[in-house]
Amino acid sequence: MYQGQEYQKALDTFDTLDTFDTLILMTWRYRFTLLFFLLLFGLIISRLFYWQIVRAQELASLGQAQSDRQITLTAKRGEIKTSDEYTIAANKLAYLVFANPKEVKDKEKQADELEKLLDLKSATISALLSRDKFWIPLKTHVESDVKEKIEAKKFPGVGFQEQTLRLYPEASMAANMLGFVGKDEEGRDKGYFGLEGFYDRQLRGKDGLAIVVHDASGQPILANMSDSTIKVDGRDLLLHIDRRIQFMLDAELKRGIAAYGAAGGTAAVMDPKTGGILAMSSFPTYDPRHYQDYSEQLYKNPFISFAYEPGSTFKPLIMSSALDSGLVKPDTPCAICAGPVEIGEYEIRTWNNKYTANETMTDVIIHSDNTGMVFAGRLLGLDKMLTYLQKFGIGEATGIDLQGEVYPSLREKESWYPIDLATATFGQGITMTPMQLLTAFSAIANDGKRMEPHIVSKVQTADGNTIDIAPKMLSKPISSKTAKVMTEMMVKAVDEGEAKWAKPKGYRIAGKTGTAQIPVAGHYDPNKTIASFIGFAPADDPKFLMLVVIDRPTSSIYGSETAAPLFFNVARNILTYYSIPPTEPTGE
Amino acid sequence: MVFPLIPDSLFLIQNIVMKKPLLVIGCLVFVIITLSVVRMTLVNNLSTTGTELVDIQNKIGQYKKQNELLKEQYLQAASYTHISAKAKRMGFGPAKSQLNLTTPLPLALR
Repeated sequence: MYQGQEYQKALDTFDTLDTFDTLILMTWRYRFTLLFFLLLFGLIISRLFYWQIVRAQELASLGQAQSDRQITLTAKRGEIKTSDEYTIAANKLAYLVFANPKEVKDKEKQADELEKLLDLKSATISALLSRDKFWIPLKTHVESDVKEKIEAKKFPGVGFQEQTLRLYPEASMAANMLGFVGKDEEGRDKGYFGLEGFYDRQLRGKDGLAIVVHDASGQPILANMSDSTIKVDGRDLLLHIDRRIQFMLDAELKRGIAAYGAAGGTAAVMDPKTGGILAMSSFPTYDPRHYQDYSEQLYKNPFISFAYEPGSTFKPLIMSSALDSGLVKPDTPCAICAGPVEIGEYEIRTWNNKYTANETMTDVIIHSDNTGMVFAGRLLGLDKMLTYLQKFGIGEATGIDLQGEVYPSLREKESWYPIDLATATFGQGITMTPMQLLTAFSAIANDGKRMEPHIVSKVQTADGNTIDIAPKMLSKPISSKTAKVMTEMMVKAVDEGEAKWAKPKGYRIAGKTGTAQIPVAGHYDPNKTIASFIGFAPADDPKFLMLVVIDRPTSSIYGSETAAPLFFNVARNILTYYSIPPTEPTGE
Repeated sequence: MVFPLIPDSLFLIQNIVMKKPLLVIGCLVFVIITLSVVRMTLVNNLSTTGTELVDIQNKIGQYKKQNELLKEQYLQAASYTHISAKAKRMGFGPAKSQLNLTTPLPLALR
């Protein structure tokens, strides 16, 4: 409590002019401070407005670039597996070795040490390291063991970048059928030729993108990993190819070509009931992993891209057409087989210039008689022959799932002359691919039903689903009865024909030899031939149909002495592999 | 004469003005310290998670590489080309003859 004078003193302290002035002064300070802070906040707000509104997008992108990292999730290329699920085309880890020349101090010494490891010349490495750049690729596709050796040496400025390579563990086995993986215009993996080319989109898959957010120290933050587009790995292919048959065919064809001094050869084995290709082989061939070291001519698969005149292997197609039309029977006598057949200025002869009057149609096939085929062809006529050939698929693509198939078309009906009809009956003057011939023969081996050839039996997706590729009938050119009759004639052709010596004993095999002349500059080369043999076994319930084509053999020009023994060697192995016992006495 | 109102009110105001900021400041300091501790804990956890993530990714990468290399070795070893060459080196060759049982084996029916 204040009393009297004390109270007056207190009043004096408040009630004076100075106090009033002080209050005014304080108000001014408050206002100044308020103004200062208002200005400050104004500045901050305007700056924030500038950052948040005016330059928002630019700064956001800049910030994202500092913290976010966009990575490509490369889809794994699908694998190719044979029927036993062995991976015949897989993916392999490899490395790109690079260097930062700015970090390499003793370039000469480092080049010398890298010479052996990278299998490059020291001068080449030294030249690369002398370049005024921060990043120089030294070598691509370096194996893991080499990478480890280089890492152990701890070379300054040398680094590695992971790469994926295609691995073909069976090396060049079935290389023409598999194709290879190269690069497209943008440097991405792309399949070329064969299965790699045909199924490239399925095998390739789809790359994904992921944005990984990093903290200040550069470590990834888990919470933001989900911001990605989906990566879809490539699909795997499961083939009809039987690795054991493929290996046997490869080995036998290679041996045969060397033994017969041939320029090359091609062969394939098909299951005539499904059209599934069990083996396909060609020589000369290439190593798909080092495809760039070989001639481009070798990339093509001759079995689907080599058009040739099939010669006598074509005769069963014409004969079965004549049989199916009811124009001839197996015992129909040939009325023009007593000697050469004259057509205009041309003369048709038999291969050995021997003639048998009134020989039956079966004998015509057994002895591969050209004049007898002209007789059957004349009865058939051009219209019917062309209709049957079209039903057999001659002149159209077989639809095989391989890149690079060619299909020579049949000539227009108006451009056929009598001599063309005559020569076509024994397979000259008409061209086709081995695949077309094999597919056409599947009709004879399969109760008249011609099947679409297929290499792939199943496609397996990355999520484990399997897509079956069902067998497809393309046409039924001949009846089941005709097919059986033709089969019997072909069995006799094997048992009594020129190649009977090579046939495995005890088995019923239907087949036909072929020795086709090669057209060169308007005439046929008398010394160079394409020898072939086509057949199936066991004749009564065929498990396989096979065509062997030998290009220009030199030890003998005849199919019966080159392609036929090769065919029978492979057939014997396949019959043993399938555990099919002989059905006839072997005489042993 | 006694005029207690003005001085008492003045001291009261002074007390309030002096004490309340202390309370507010105290609260603010407490909140700041608490949030700082929480933030430090979270940042610490996050930074550790990043490192662990890198470790896990590195391990996954290593296992994948090992798997790829082992698969490659298996495929090379299981290839017929390799097996055939190895068999040849060991002295094996293709079978020259085979035995086929073309007739049924004799059975004692009675």
